[in-house]
Amino acid sequence: MKMEKEKKSFWKKLRDKLTPDLMFHETEVQANRLGFLMLLCSGIILVLILILVETGIFPLQGDFMRAAIIRSLIEITALLVFCKIVKYDAWWLKPLLIVGMVIVYALLDSMLTHKAAILMVLPVVFSSRYFSRRLTVFTSLFTTVIFIFSAYWGATHGFINLNIVTMEEGTRMVATGGFLGDAVQNVLNLDPAAGNKMLIVNTLLYDYLPRWLMFSIVSVISCNIARKGRDMVVTQHEKDVKGARIESELNLATRIQADMLPNIYPAFPDRKEFDIYATMDPAKEVGGDFYDFFLIDKDHLCMVMADVSGKGVPAALFMMASKIILANNAMMGKSPAQILTDTNEAICANNREEMFVTVWLGILEISTGKLTAANAGHEYPVVKDADGSYEIYKDKHGFVIGGMPGARYKEYELILKPGSRLFLYTDGVPEATDADGNMFGADRMVEALKAIDPSADPSVTLKAIRAAVDGFVKDAEQFDDITMLNLEYKGDLS
Amino acid sequence: MNITQSAINGKTVLAPEGRLDTVSAPELEKVVKDVIPTTDELVLDLAKLDYISSAGLRILLSAQKAMMTKGGMTVCNVNETILEIFEVTGFSDILTIV
Repeated sequence: MKMEKEKKSFWKKLRDKLTPDLMFHETEVQANRLGFLMLLCSGIILVLILILVETGIFPLQGDFMRAAIIRSLIEITALLVFCKIVKYDAWWLKPLLIVGMVIVYALLDSMLTHKAAILMVLPVVFSSRYFSRRLTVFTSLFTTVIFIFSAYWGATHGFINLNIVTMEEGTRMVATGGFLGDAVQNVLNLDPAAGNKMLIVNTLLYDYLPRWLMFSIVSVISCNIARKGRDMVVTQHEKDVKGARIESELNLATRIQADMLPNIYPAFPDRKEFDIYATMDPAKEVGGDFYDFFLIDKDHLCMVMADVSGKGVPAALFMMASKIILANNAMMGKSPAQILTDTNEAICANNREEMFVTVWLGILEISTGKLTAANAGHEYPVVKDADGSYEIYKDKHGFVIGGMPGARYKEYELILKPGSRLFLYTDGVPEATDADGNMFGADRMVEALKAIDPSADPSVTLKAIRAAVDGFVKDAEQFDDITMLNLEYKGDLS
Repeated sequence: MNITQSAINGKTVLAPEGRLDTVSAPELEKVVKDVIPTTDELVLDLAKLDYISSAGLRILLSAQKAMMTKGGMTVCNVNETILEIFEVTGFSDILTIV
């Protein structure tokens, strides 16, 4: 029992050691695919060599080589099948591919010897694709050892390199069966012990060493590639993690911002005198536009439409502050002009970044339909009389809020008759731009409003306007926040 | 965005081209910040400006405020589209438009 447990823990340990960090998982699968491709190519080459040998075009020594090629082909096939079975994704595939590749290429090398010096570098170059310097170092060392044997086998069985054996002057080479290797064997056979030693020394010195020196350069380069690749993956991973964190924070911010605006409809189910609906669609995750509406008392409905300079997070932060200050001032029962004046002072007091917000604010006396409003640099409201159609109402404009301390705002009055409508919006509507840079424009906006059934609910009205904007810009990216509010005044029905 | 900078009679003239929006505003902001300490009078030539968003207006506002303590800032060659934006936002009241 105890033995079993230890054995299990060894495999577990090996597995843990060979399983890469999650961030390298994709890299590893891709590297396994590359290994598959390399082995596939090698297999095809081996089959070609086998055909050349069998047809007698390629002068390799018969049985040993044939056996080696077939052995390599079996090994390659097994590795290819393993790759396919686990879909390139298993912790043991990496060492198997590396070791298998070194052995296959060593065998091939022993057949072709000096004619295929490049074979030695293939596994180590391949190993760098795993972005692990340790693996590349291991592959280099393993290749170094295995290829010593291949050099030796090559000298006795492969393409012969006559430089390997020094012969006395006047030595006559007699080849049987036309192979130079046989001739060398014959020379060695004269004094097996001394000849073999000479063969080993000469093989290592004249064949293996120069190749190994070149190989070591490739190893160093491969180690560097592996390390740099690792650094790149790690850096990218850190960026991804950071990006994901920012994204999730922005998602939460979007929801917080949306929840800050009244968004449950019908907003005032027990008030039959009016119907109100508003939407905000930020261009980015969070926006600088906002609307607001709330009852100051039983008879007074306050409506706000506002647009903060800029977009995104800075605008959203400024928007939150502006919304709260405006609402607080309104709840104190001040007039619209006074609300804007006081809000401006409050915002200007702490506004080093010189952000500003355009605001249209109106207070509707529900019982009479009297609308008192003030405008701080915001778009003109669009008003529809009970029996008329939507028209832009060019109201008096004050300066934007947060722009200048001491700014004064003027208010004006409008009487809404039962059946009247009020449409408020931010510049995202008229300035919605199509792919050619044309703007939707206030004229098109008013035309679109006129085209809507006058008895349609405010929610339907806003959806129709949004559809008109979308139809105009088509697939161009939404550039600015799009915010709209529609009020239908039905009058005192009691 | 392309911003042409030139000096005429000791005044610095900045001429932004194209669209001045959230994307391009930081470029103009940087140029304006660099120019303000070196000049007594700033002129913004908007002849080639097609569009200005609130992010662009913010740059104009901070430049205007910074130049108030010096020789002032004037805005010239304002086309109709941009003048309308200035009027709606109340910027026409605080800017010196010539």
